Amino acid sequence: MVIKNLGQYSPHLAQYTELRSQENSVLNIAYVKGNLVQNVKQSTAGISARVFCRGSFGFASSADATAITEVIAAASRNAEFLDARENKGRAPFTPDNPHTERSFGTKKARLTQGQIMAFVREIDAYIAKTYPTLSSRTVSLSCIDMEKTLVTSDGASLYSLLPRSNVRVSLSVDTTGGPVEVFEAAGGLGQFEDNFTSPEALFETIDKLHAHLIRKSEGVYPTAGTKECVLDAALAGILAHEAIGHTTEADIVLGGSVAGDYLGRLVASPLITLVDLAHTFDGKDCPMPIYIDDEGTAATDLAIIDHGVLQGFMHNKQSARHFGVKPTGNARAYEYFDEPLIRMRNTAILPGTSRVADMIASIDDGYYLMKPSNGQADTTSEFMFGVVLGYEIKGGKLGRGIRDLTISGVAFDVLKSVTMVSDDMKWSNGGMCGKKQLIPVGMGGPAIKCKINIGGR
Amino acid sequence: MKDTLTLCSEYLTDAGVDKFQCVLTERKHHEMNLEANEMSLVRTNVDSTLNFTVIKDNRKGDISLNSLSSDSIREAVHTAVELAGVSQQDPDYDISPQQETAVFCRGPAQPDTERMYAVLKGYAASVPTIFPKVKLAETIFSHTVVTKRFINSNGVDYTTHKGVYTLVTVFSSKDGTKTSSINYTSFSLCELERELLDCSSLRGLLQQSVEHLDAKPMRGKFVGDVVITPDCLSDLLSYYTSVYLGDRALITGTSILKDKLGQVVSSPKFTLSARPTAAEIADGYFVTPDGFAAEDVTYIENGVLKSFMLSLYGANKTKRERAKNSGGCWVVEPGDKGLVEIIAGIDKGLLVARYSGGNPSANGDFSGVAKNSYYIENGKILYPVSETMISGNLADLFKSIKDISAERIDFGAAILPYVHASGVTVSGKE
Repeated sequence: MVIKNLGQYSPHLAQYTELRSQENSVLNIAYVKGNLVQNVKQSTAGISARVFCRGSFGFASSADATAITEVIAAASRNAEFLDARENKGRAPFTPDNPHTERSFGTKKARLTQGQIMAFVREIDAYIAKTYPTLSSRTVSLSCIDMEKTLVTSDGASLYSLLPRSNVRVSLSVDTTGGPVEVFEAAGGLGQFEDNFTSPEALFETIDKLHAHLIRKSEGVYPTAGTKECVLDAALAGILAHEAIGHTTEADIVLGGSVAGDYLGRLVASPLITLVDLAHTFDGKDCPMPIYIDDEGTAATDLAIIDHGVLQGFMHNKQSARHFGVKPTGNARAYEYFDEPLIRMRNTAILPGTSRVADMIASIDDGYYLMKPSNGQADTTSEFMFGVVLGYEIKGGKLGRGIRDLTISGVAFDVLKSVTMVSDDMKWSNGGMCGKKQLIPVGMGGPAIKCKINIGGR
Repeated sequence: MKDTLTLCSEYLTDAGVDKFQCVLTERKHHEMNLEANEMSLVRTNVDSTLNFTVIKDNRKGDISLNSLSSDSIREAVHTAVELAGVSQQDPDYDISPQQETAVFCRGPAQPDTERMYAVLKGYAASVPTIFPKVKLAETIFSHTVVTKRFINSNGVDYTTHKGVYTLVTVFSSKDGTKTSSINYTSFSLCELERELLDCSSLRGLLQQSVEHLDAKPMRGKFVGDVVITPDCLSDLLSYYTSVYLGDRALITGTSILKDKLGQVVSSPKFTLSARPTAAEIADGYFVTPDGFAAEDVTYIENGVLKSFMLSLYGANKTKRERAKNSGGCWVVEPGDKGLVEIIAGIDKGLLVARYSGGNPSANGDFSGVAKNSYYIENGKILYPVSETMISGNLADLFKSIKDISAERIDFGAAILPYVHASGVTVSGKE
């Protein structure tokens, strides 16, 4: 349980200090081929403090909620240990003291464990009954509530409850070339009661997924080489996050990212505007709304690329001071025992004016790539993503399904090749980003038409 | 006042569960961070976590909490019983049988913080001197001591005390506007006798990072030989064991090796063991998550599959034998040729230093970017490559192994050589 009145400890914050109380509550249920292989509840709660002493940070945490003053003292000792040896002599940060309280918890009555389990079991039973020839199926539910309070020595304060709940279904069939698998996830921001009304509401999604599975199982391996492709929203989102977003995190820029040389330069087609949104887009909550970050900075939208021109980097207080700009509210920590790092929030390419059907019709020989498995990128913006769902495009029409493949390229080059951007916007909101710590993020956007390198067999 | 595990077991017994297991983990973590080659943070965490599993009427629930008051534990027991009560019956749920009580100890119980600072500072100072074009991004040097006690209702009672130092370092190189691919490594140590640069593969990787400032795309496509570095082999072994040998692969039946126990599945030159209890492994373990004393296991011996990597549940579910450990701590037996000799025998190939790819499909097909890698021709490394992809099948890759190097890298959590295999599709730019 989080401590709501952390402000009472302000007199103990002698140096620049962030004091946080946080609890992450997790529920995971998973059925594999009808067997319940995961049925876990987890709660991780505690207190942390981070102290800034003349340019050196000290951090300490404890699960003991009564040990607040001890945690502050331990963080101070750690900062002073480093300061005594490094002697950087830097000034404190410019004070900032925003306040907010935001809860995205449900207002509905909470369901019992039995009702939630029955929901998941009913989805599994539907798949087993409707599609008896599958070689395997997995149905899983992942729920996390991140609840925290934060105060800083500058007077900022935050209470937030950020819940996320996702159902994930994967289906497999055996083929002569081995098993073939597809998956789909539903849900996003919000607790289970707000995201899932009845199992039947997911049946249509499962039916569509099965249709994709059959076409994929009858499908072909793609031909390796550079092809014109339509990347659907999920892939455009992971491109924005992995291949551009990470290279524009200020700590990665300081670590040598290629984006450090590109500020103010044309790095993408003028059709591309790529943003890291704080909390709201088009009047709606983003998948991971951040109003105040874990350093106590009011979170603001950041235009990373504006009509093709690289405009800015994501910052925490320290990197913002280094670059002489205002912090953007990108400092986020996952668990109570984690220090805030520069992280993305809701990264997306903004919609254009084309229709997906027209984008497909404009390609004579290429691929429509719909769903990524995972992705990686590095400081050069060279990336690779696994693609687990897609189709050939032949003569402007969708053709055969394609087997698992990997796409790769240099992200800034790929974005320069964009010739069409669709007019819709889809978020994928089950993603966790890894960078020392995990953190839930939102990513999304429209579909884009571009040239990309296909890894075949 | 009763200790946490005694309290927990009394509540579980009172709740009328048939079987239970409880694990109390006390963790003290001390770390120092470099950011952009500057000492930036000292961080300490103290945490205690209680995990327990209950089985009642062949129904199971798992709980994890770190608030350890008697009220919190009582409520968690109630929740666990509720979780189990609504789960489905499965006769394959079980806990480990009674075994002899034991205490295991490994590694330093306390961090030497002055020495930690000195060796990390030494690393931060050495890199710009020896490799002036290298940019250290995130570097984390930590000491973690974990005391873990495992009990269950069959009378199992194991205690483990383990301390270990770990370095994780991420870096790239920059020269003007030229930027190399990011690379990273990590390794574990029981002692801080040596400088960090002299440990594991670190010095070689930093040198390669500088060389990759001049990486260029390979032209064309071929099916041929690859030499997989120890850092890259570590990732491929994780994929291989997960896709072919683990619980999910066997329970779903997707493993193409499911009927191959006792049969040849790889080159006879390949022997793979998991040695969590061996003295040579700094970051091992002594008790499996399901409550068995871990033993060192050879999974593949001279190419023959000797064991799957099944937990107690996976073994019960698939009617196969439980593995005597839970994998990891991989040790691959060395060969008799040096790396230079192996490369000298390759007409056309790729030295693959890192695989950045999608998770392999259920049959083991993989496709990804060969990062930080080098093109080999006529027995020599010619140039570092960028934008070069590799694809193939994991089972085929391990069957095709031609040679294994005599040199091995000690990562503390694994000891791995270079592996020369063939039949991999390598595609560069058209």
